[in-house]
Amino acid sequence: MRGPRKPRAQWRKAPSTLTLGGASVSESRLRNGLRVIVAERHTDPVVASLLMYKVGSRYESEVEAGVSHFLEHMMFKGTPSIGKGEVDRITTELGGHNNAFTSYDHTGYWFEMASDRWEGVLGIEADRMQNLELDPREFDSERNVVLEELAMSEDDPWRVLTQKVQTAMFPRHSYRWPVIGYPDTLVPLTVEDMRRHYERFYHPSNATLVISGDVKKRAALAAARKHFGEIPAGEEVTRRPYGSFLEPDGETRLNMSWEDAAKRLCISWPTNSVCTDDDYTLDLVTTLLAQGRNSRLQRRLVLDEGLATSISISNECWVDGGSFWILAECSQGTAPERLEQAIEEELRRLATEKVPAAELKRARSILLASEAYDCETVSDLGDEIAEFAIDADWRLAFDGGARHALVTSARIKECVQRLLSPERRVVGWCLPR
Amino acid sequence: MNDAVHTPASKPKADSRIAAPRLNVVRFELDCGAVLLVDQRPGASVTAIKLHLKGGHSLDPAGLEGLASLTGSLLDQGTKSRTEEQIAEVLEPKGGGIRGDANGLSGSIAGDAWKQLAGLIAEAVCEPSFPKDKFARQKERLLDRLLIERDDHRTQAGRLFRRMVYGKHWMGRAVYGSLESVVRITRKDVVAFHAKNWCPTRAAIAVCGDVDPETVRRFFNRRFKAWTSKRKLERADIRFPERASRCEAFYAKRQQVHVYLGHLGITRDNPHYSALVVMDHILGTGPGFSNRISRKLRDEQGLAYTVHADVHSSAGVFPGMFTAYIGTSPEHIERATHGFLEEMKRIRDDLVEEHELELAVNYLLGSYALGYERASRRANFMISAERFGLPPNYLESLPDKFAAVTAHDVREAARACLFPDKPCFAVAGPVRKRDVEAIFAKLLGKQGSKRNRTTKARD
Repeated sequence: MRGPRKPRAQWRKAPSTLTLGGASVSESRLRNGLRVIVAERHTDPVVASLLMYKVGSRYESEVEAGVSHFLEHMMFKGTPSIGKGEVDRITTELGGHNNAFTSYDHTGYWFEMASDRWEGVLGIEADRMQNLELDPREFDSERNVVLEELAMSEDDPWRVLTQKVQTAMFPRHSYRWPVIGYPDTLVPLTVEDMRRHYERFYHPSNATLVISGDVKKRAALAAARKHFGEIPAGEEVTRRPYGSFLEPDGETRLNMSWEDAAKRLCISWPTNSVCTDDDYTLDLVTTLLAQGRNSRLQRRLVLDEGLATSISISNECWVDGGSFWILAECSQGTAPERLEQAIEEELRRLATEKVPAAELKRARSILLASEAYDCETVSDLGDEIAEFAIDADWRLAFDGGARHALVTSARIKECVQRLLSPERRVVGWCLPR
Repeated sequence: MNDAVHTPASKPKADSRIAAPRLNVVRFELDCGAVLLVDQRPGASVTAIKLHLKGGHSLDPAGLEGLASLTGSLLDQGTKSRTEEQIAEVLEPKGGGIRGDANGLSGSIAGDAWKQLAGLIAEAVCEPSFPKDKFARQKERLLDRLLIERDDHRTQAGRLFRRMVYGKHWMGRAVYGSLESVVRITRKDVVAFHAKNWCPTRAAIAVCGDVDPETVRRFFNRRFKAWTSKRKLERADIRFPERASRCEAFYAKRQQVHVYLGHLGITRDNPHYSALVVMDHILGTGPGFSNRISRKLRDEQGLAYTVHADVHSSAGVFPGMFTAYIGTSPEHIERATHGFLEEMKRIRDDLVEEHELELAVNYLLGSYALGYERASRRANFMISAERFGLPPNYLESLPDKFAAVTAHDVREAARACLFPDKPCFAVAGPVRKRDVEAIFAKLLGKQGSKRNRTTKARD
């Protein structure tokens, strides 16, 4: 249980309201610091709630790698008042769904329910925010589950390869270890270690609650106040992420092998934080290169020249920095160097030539159209808003393409030259054993 | 046997019911003979279209397995009037795309551009050009995929399991075919397969979005004017191997083993269907640890991250499979499999507890209507309803069906449809076949396994 301080639950200031993803969205804050964002949309009788904590592997030291994710598992193991298995039982009883996830920068707990019964989930969240039990027997049993999850990911060659690249890319920052941790850090972890982590990060002032769907704002806020209003704020999280970014001092290459016929290529560059100009520019770069059949790399590598059987690109931007990823599977008849060379040629073209206006327009349109899918369900809507809220600013979600519209051909050229140069990249190959 | 609970399950709470999702389905028969189903959803940000074609990979000619799938995947790669690039040029800027497979075509598009999507689907169905270079490229990619999957232990475990359950029946084969069969497929085979099997009388089209049903009907009638073939669907026989214990293993040097255990399942018209849905939720699919198998093997014993079991989700026109799956460490195979078999027996022998039944029923009453926010989900449901002959009020009637299920119904359904004494058992991972066989024999309390025999399917 937490300390005795019980602030009066009142709203600090009048929220501003925006229309995003077909929903009316507004932010409020309880006196104890809990931020509550309500996204009201009445298309279907469904409500999703997503409680996000600002904690993930970014906040861990290397010896405790994986504790945030393991704790996320333990959050389903009960409190004195809601016993082991009860979170699932109550969810099931109400006919809803629940899940949770941990990333580098945040941890989220999600429920989806019919709109006539959603409020009960806030009681669960408020309870486990304060009173998690961490029974040693449950702790040991769940550690085995996490180790099985880890073993599962170690059987996936793409996961192994991308993790090796990630580790090489961030040699001094906590983004270098996997969110799930390592056996070497999970096995020695104790209940006390986890409790310290829990107490440090799980409190209202380090959390954001997003309620989306068929709910009235006033009712949602009243429910949040009722369930969370009396919880002490907790100490402000001042812990800084471990380590710092280093500018790469040249290309890094690594190789691994796997017992299959695939030739897997992963190239990654360190980039910039979420919602920076570089983030939006790299969204355009991603789209120009690999979104759809008429994107440059899909067209050339996969469809026309058959150098790769698949290619995907992602622009991953986090709180402290980001990374830009190209993953490609080399076709059987192609030499790995040939594929790599073709990718490099296309990047050089972006770095040196102006993107034709029609192509830029196509990329912006695709990004704009993706908003329709990103808010199709109330859970999609809540998830998008919550991720922006916890890592940057929810007002930037569903901006109708406004920020992508500001990205010019010149900016793309400059960004690719500056960030995606061969000297800054990590190249990983996974080849047949 | 525990017959302690003789009375029907306690009634689910009145407030556990959720309003049925509002699907405003209008059904038409198009002039070409295809069925059109339209769900008008005002304000929807996405339109989804699904064209389902009866037959699927059951129509693959012997030796050319994978042909139906390859043909479907090539439909959007060029038509008589447009190249693949031109198709992409129309759809992609609107967040649209089309994807074909052995069972038809589906696509979605953002905003109000549904006519462009529908028009291109019609064009792809009626006048695909199967360009030579696209055919060669697609075939090459498929062969690459099959080559890599040859060493993927999870894929191989799934295939071994399917093959043991369905034997030589087409349902036992991979939809994509095999390295040996795909290499034989020519462009000529694809063109001929399309001409013979892509018939409007075998097609059902579902459209969900902010569309007017009558306008959609008129649109498709115009676009499908030239789609006239009316060839009847001829299926291969539907004989499956007799249920019997069988065991297969695939060795791979990996961390985990993938374990599949089960047998031939049910068709969608099985009289126990509602009771089996409830049974599955109690046994192996209820959310989190609310089902017996997850609670026991994951939560209590910590054996796995992924574990589940169910029979109803694969039920179709043809029988699906009862499948129990776990991804675990090799040293846990015996415990995990023992857990599966024990729970299968328990749910057949004993009446489920009242609280378990109530929980499962309440979950179904509250959740069955969730998930219908997505246009593609609604389109899929319309196709399923058409294929399985579900009545128009099906979604509205579901709550009553679930609420009426008793503990006795669950036991009767389990006895009719679960066969723990005759499981197929496939394991892939760092374990040798002889060791797998030894575990299997020990668990079943006997040596060896029966050879495949065939029996007539129930439908």
